[in-house]
Amino acid sequence: MATERSTRDGSWYGDGEGVNQLRGQLFKWGCLGAMLFGIVMVFVLLAYVAIDAIRPLTADPGWHLTFFLTLVAPTSALLGYYGLRDRRSGLVGAIATALPAFCLLVGAGISLLLVDVFRPIEWFGTAVALVVAVGVVYVHRRLRTEPAAFERPIVTVGALVLAVVGVPGVVPSLSQLFRNAPIALNPATMLLYSFAVPVAILTGLAIARRRESRRDGLIAAALTVVGGVLAVIAAPAVGIDDYLLIVLSLSIAAPTAVYVEGVVRERDHLVGLALPIVAYVGTFLGAALVEAYGFAGPEAWLDWQFLTSAHSRFPQEAGIYPALVGSIMMMLVIVVSAFPVGVAAAVYLEEYAPDSGTVGRVVGLIEMNIANLAGVPSVVYGLLGLALFIRYADMNTGSVIVGGLTVGLLILPIVIISSQEAIRAVPNSMRQASYGMGATKWQTVRNVVLPESIPGILTGTILAFGRAIGETAPLLMIGAAAVVFSPPGSFAEKFSAMPRQIFAWSHEPSAEFRYGVLAAGVVTLLVVLLSMNAAAILIRNRYQRRS
Amino acid sequence: MTESGFLSRRAFLAGTGATGAAALAGCIGETGGSGDDGSAETTEGGQSVSGGITITGSSTVYPVSVAMAEEFEKANSEVDISVDPTGTGGGFENHFCPGNSDINGASRPITDAEEENCNENGVDPRQFQVASDALTVVVNKDATWVDSITFEELAQIWRPDGAQQWSDVRDDWPDKPLELYGPASTSGTFDWFTENVVGEAGSHRSDYEATEDDNNIVAGVEGSPNAMGYLGFAYYQENSDRVKAVSVAEGDASNAVEPTLENAKSGDYPMARPLFVYPAAGSIQEKDQVYEFLKFYIEQSETDIVTEIGYVPASADLRDDNLETLEEIRNE
Repeated sequence: MATERSTRDGSWYGDGEGVNQLRGQLFKWGCLGAMLFGIVMVFVLLAYVAIDAIRPLTADPGWHLTFFLTLVAPTSALLGYYGLRDRRSGLVGAIATALPAFCLLVGAGISLLLVDVFRPIEWFGTAVALVVAVGVVYVHRRLRTEPAAFERPIVTVGALVLAVVGVPGVVPSLSQLFRNAPIALNPATMLLYSFAVPVAILTGLAIARRRESRRDGLIAAALTVVGGVLAVIAAPAVGIDDYLLIVLSLSIAAPTAVYVEGVVRERDHLVGLALPIVAYVGTFLGAALVEAYGFAGPEAWLDWQFLTSAHSRFPQEAGIYPALVGSIMMMLVIVVSAFPVGVAAAVYLEEYAPDSGTVGRVVGLIEMNIANLAGVPSVVYGLLGLALFIRYADMNTGSVIVGGLTVGLLILPIVIISSQEAIRAVPNSMRQASYGMGATKWQTVRNVVLPESIPGILTGTILAFGRAIGETAPLLMIGAAAVVFSPPGSFAEKFSAMPRQIFAWSHEPSAEFRYGVLAAGVVTLLVVLLSMNAAAILIRNRYQRRS
Repeated sequence: MTESGFLSRRAFLAGTGATGAAALAGCIGETGGSGDDGSAETTEGGQSVSGGITITGSSTVYPVSVAMAEEFEKANSEVDISVDPTGTGGGFENHFCPGNSDINGASRPITDAEEENCNENGVDPRQFQVASDALTVVVNKDATWVDSITFEELAQIWRPDGAQQWSDVRDDWPDKPLELYGPASTSGTFDWFTENVVGEAGSHRSDYEATEDDNNIVAGVEGSPNAMGYLGFAYYQENSDRVKAVSVAEGDASNAVEPTLENAKSGDYPMARPLFVYPAAGSIQEKDQVYEFLKFYIEQSETDIVTEIGYVPASADLRDDNLETLEEIRNE
């Protein structure tokens, strides 16, 4: 159908049969097809895994009907109303509904860290030691208003080190002293002081700043502490350990309350708040009715038992808990190691590195190779980790710290590149303005470049962490265990991570493992990953609105 | 507005830094302190043990070790057991002999080279047979012509330049091409089959579908009426509705024995191969938890725990011998 003329005999190009729209149309439909194909494939895969994990068809029809009537129908009706009449309220409602669920996940992660990884007493000791350290720094700043060069950083670092680490073998750290001190406090009281009080202070600050009223801030802080105490009182009725309930309830209630308070105070699309009420009341009502009428729910592989127990040779009793904790501890190591190194490297490359002359060419070569490193297969990083950390540095095979450092190396190039992009996006005029006001290079980087680029850096970095949590090949190479029965007690102990555990399940002879338990593991991993991405989006939106 | 934004971001940076430093310090702080706790607690069992046990080695022994670990953990929750299927050779080379693992599972006896390697590092491996695995020859459900097969016929099929068609092996079998599925050459199953059935170490044909995962053998054989494969009995047991097992005779075809756990335990089934664990003598003597775990492992190796997984349990005699050996090592 190519009917372009070979000669243009003076006539207007495009006139008559000279132009054919078919190619353009074909291209458009081709692109549409590609998009649909990709999205449908991913969606089918996810739906397949989710159905295997939850098995909705095993539930009683009555169960489905109950939840349809109490939850699905009213929520859909409300959503339809928002869609037609009031989209802005719909957004407010969606945030208010999603926030508690998201906070529940984050709260669960925090409780894992506070309760299982660092036991309450350790956390309490560290918190108290940190308060003392901050107090020392504050007093020092007050007394020495004109410090010598580097006096302040030295005092700050010294106070922190003495508080948390101590001098190994000579001076025990403050936090260890508090840990071993004969303090007759139960875990609940310890967490009230060391978790509820900081959360209360943060909530109070947020409210005080927003309402521009100290009194309101104080009231909010007091209410938060009261909430923590109420959690302790309510714990026996709920059936969860009281110290766990403090962490869980506060990490859900505090952010939700702050958000709702904002909506209510501004009287801004109040109708939106109907959505969370309808959704959550519907859920609880449905659960109560199902209980009352004895409708059996789906025999889901992904249930509370799965999340809280270790691997078992019986599929019904198998769980992912130790691997989940292992993954979270590994993420902690990755964050602590890859984030500062990556950001520092990006700052140097963007702000300090010369871009001309011989050195400039070397820097250009390095930058190019960082981009290449981002594409090196993960199994190669696994071998690197094996050689570097286990063979050379003689760390424990398959320990959390080796896993975290290895995967940290893997995502380091991505962190560097995304941080570079974020730093590059800071307008040069802002730097020039800073110099123009007499600021030094260091002041400009600290006060202008970093604050401006932090949202971009965080977004890119959290997406990289999302990749890190799913990496399997490096863990195989460094010898992370397929199965552990209790979460690692320290960072030097052997661990298993979620992808490693899932890989082990895929080799089980029994089909129940390969389809059911494995699918439940995949969904757990995806939920953790999606909530990390959601956090990235939240952080980005929050800071974008400010600047 | 902008000013407050700056301030809060700086505060955020400082906060992140402080949290990071605290977390890092927490790691360091805890590593030192974790060694001395957990020793004081006692349970109703009189003495309780704590500490870590690292198990590596054969992926065939892995399910047995996982099951034993699971049961042991129920009574001794203070013990942290990690189990990792690294392959028999990989486990000896990379984990056990360098001293990073307490117990290595093996689906074949340790080689002289491996033993030497271990001794050089001051690791003294001791052998315990804990179970047997009945290798199973499987064919498609529709392959009605074959019910039994002899070692010689298996050798004809699986040796290098082996038979191309079913009829090449036995005349009354059809003129159809053989499609072969088997474990990859890294596996202990492959080694045992080559040495004991084909007859000579390393002489296994290479034009077959080799896989690391026995589930793939099941899927391959299920998919084609002309297919044949061999795998561990546990995988056949789970999939007995998808593929058909063939009776095997070491000599004459009329003596063919069906692959069942009873036949393997009684010694009638010719393709049962022993599975071992190799603990380090030093670990048994120095770590109470390794000694207690091994004692439990050996005691339970004669029970239904092993049968449920699809392996052949040890005989009572073997168990008693093993317990005696364990005591001797402990008191050396």
